[in-house]
Amino acid sequence: MGRQNTFGGRNQNAISFRGNQARSLGPISTTITLIVLACVLGLLYLTQVTKTNAYGYKVNSLLQQQQQLKSEHDDLEVASARLQSLDRVQSSTVAKGLTPIAPSGTVTD
Amino acid sequence: MPPYSSGHFARPLKTVLRARLWYVIIMAVFGLFVVRLFYLQIIRHDYYKQSATTGHLKEYEITADRGVIKAHNGTSGVVPIALNQTLFTIYADPSLIKEPAKVAETLAASLKGNQSDYEAKLRSKDTRYVVLARKASREQKDAILKPKYPGIGSQEQPYRTYPNGSLAAQVLGFVNDESKGVYGLEQALNGTLAGQNGELKAVTDINGVPLAANTDNILKQPVAGSDVVLTLDVAMQKQLEDILKGGLERAKSNSGSAIILDPNTGAVKAMANWPTYDPANYGTVADASLFTNASVSAPLEIGSTMKPLTVAAALDHGSVSANYTYFDPSKYVIDNFTVKNIEEDGGPGTKSLADILNLSLNTGATQMLMRMGGSGSEINQTGRQVWYDYMTNHYRFGKATGIEQGYEADGIVPDPNKGYARDLTYANTSFGQAMTATPLQLGAAFSAVMNGGTYYQPHLVDYTVDAKGKKTIKKPTALKNNVVAPSVAKTLQPILEYVVTKHSFSRQFDQNVYSVGGKTGTAQIANPAGGYFENDYNGTYVGFVGGDTPQYVIVVSVNKPKIGGYAGSMAAQPIFGDLAHMLIDKFNVTPKK
Repeated sequence: MGRQNTFGGRNQNAISFRGNQARSLGPISTTITLIVLACVLGLLYLTQVTKTNAYGYKVNSLLQQQQQLKSEHDDLEVASARLQSLDRVQSSTVAKGLTPIAPSGTVTD
Repeated sequence: MPPYSSGHFARPLKTVLRARLWYVIIMAVFGLFVVRLFYLQIIRHDYYKQSATTGHLKEYEITADRGVIKAHNGTSGVVPIALNQTLFTIYADPSLIKEPAKVAETLAASLKGNQSDYEAKLRSKDTRYVVLARKASREQKDAILKPKYPGIGSQEQPYRTYPNGSLAAQVLGFVNDESKGVYGLEQALNGTLAGQNGELKAVTDINGVPLAANTDNILKQPVAGSDVVLTLDVAMQKQLEDILKGGLERAKSNSGSAIILDPNTGAVKAMANWPTYDPANYGTVADASLFTNASVSAPLEIGSTMKPLTVAAALDHGSVSANYTYFDPSKYVIDNFTVKNIEEDGGPGTKSLADILNLSLNTGATQMLMRMGGSGSEINQTGRQVWYDYMTNHYRFGKATGIEQGYEADGIVPDPNKGYARDLTYANTSFGQAMTATPLQLGAAFSAVMNGGTYYQPHLVDYTVDAKGKKTIKKPTALKNNVVAPSVAKTLQPILEYVVTKHSFSRQFDQNVYSVGGKTGTAQIANPAGGYFENDYNGTYVGFVGGDTPQYVIVVSVNKPKIGGYAGSMAAQPIFGDLAHMLIDKFNVTPKK
């Protein structure tokens, strides 16, 4: 009785004996596995490339924004310089209201 | 049958064969792929790479920002006088315009132009590109593009802009359409101001946006040009330009120049010529000579303003002493020509160095030349050689100063040993004829004498600031030491003060408080056909303003004034007077102790 329950007993299916042997994939399985692996790697690569390019667009957009802000900064600098220009200051109402002080260091005739 | 024989458990032969067949087919297909890929990627690599990159690989030049030019503004720091601004060209493709009238209305409202003119352009049939406006501002561009009319576009373009208009225009020069500095500082410092353009070589998408994943992209960042801060003071420059213009109008002259220098460093504080132009609209200038800075590029015979230098040379050489007197015959016959003085100076008599400068004696300057040759009555080879040495090596006439300006001229000093009528020629040079120098060369040489003997290179750049913020101060460069002995300045300063005191100005100077000295010059103008014009003269003036020592040197030149009297006295001297008063009144000249 006991023998009949023992694994590897007389009436067991012979295939069961392969359980202890090294298993190996057949050529088709290997090829398919390799193809699947290649596809996965390819997908991974494409995902990364797409992500990188997406970041590239973001960077490009930020660069454009930076350029835009720089241009606006330049415009403001120009406007500021124009507002402080001597001709503008000279013709301002404040300047027109100023009284020149008497010059020094000269002999009056 | 053995218990484990294959027959009992083996797959059917058909199945095995089918599997092998599929295996062979799959391997064959992959083999084909491999072969094809090998052909495409290895054998035809170059061809396909080129085909792919032709469409997507783009090269961009990234323009470096041009450095800003700034100038001092009294003691309140620096202000920009030439900076950059992005403006826009608005264009249209008339074939795509659906509603010309409506578009023209928008254009007229934004650009303040004539609506019918815009509409006519938009209805053009023979072209697909019409420029509607140049130098439009960002606001104008945005207002025009906002409705998104088909066929309307804009192109940005960097421009140099000058917030103070024509102030110091000829000193600055301008930047042409190729972004190259021409004339003035923009030309001389183009390398410093322009920086280095960058480069982007990248695979792009259909919109030209670089794809970041491409590892072959090349990005060379641009290096912005350095900002340049000038020694000029904008307020002084403005005053000088106004005074020069007013003085030329009074003298009925069409052109002239004026410079204010710091004699103790060579720094140019103000420099201008009239007439001038607006560098922002240089394309509208018909006369290209307006672009040049005459103060550095138009040499002239400086006339009697040379006499202080002649006297200084004789003093330094030891040919005469400070209290030297001589008998002046009022004329010398040299090489069969007569060198004489103006009638107002009286006849023969005993004269001093002060008389030579106050009365502007041509014979006095000639006497100095004679003394330099060891004689009191004739010009000889030794005298010519000594005076030539002073002119060229001490005062550096005949050599460009090296100031940061385009098209600086050398001027001419005649050879002491060659040529016709050498003695007469050299007699003429002793009072500023038969040689030429630019107003700047005159100012630099006079400064060297008045500061005690150091010839500082005239310069316009105070310091530069590069793209990383590194400040480089330009220290004064002494091109020549011992131009004259320090004692010469001490002798000349009171003599030149005396000259100013003896001449009339609209407001006289209180020499007890400030030291103001100078000398007029009236020079005949050389006729290119030979000899001199009969009735055309240039008026010049060189002088100083200061306290115990000169603080500013002023040079004035007035071309062909039509006012009566001597050009130096009647045309140039009043301008010097106004400039000297302006400096005393507004620019903190240190009084005498």
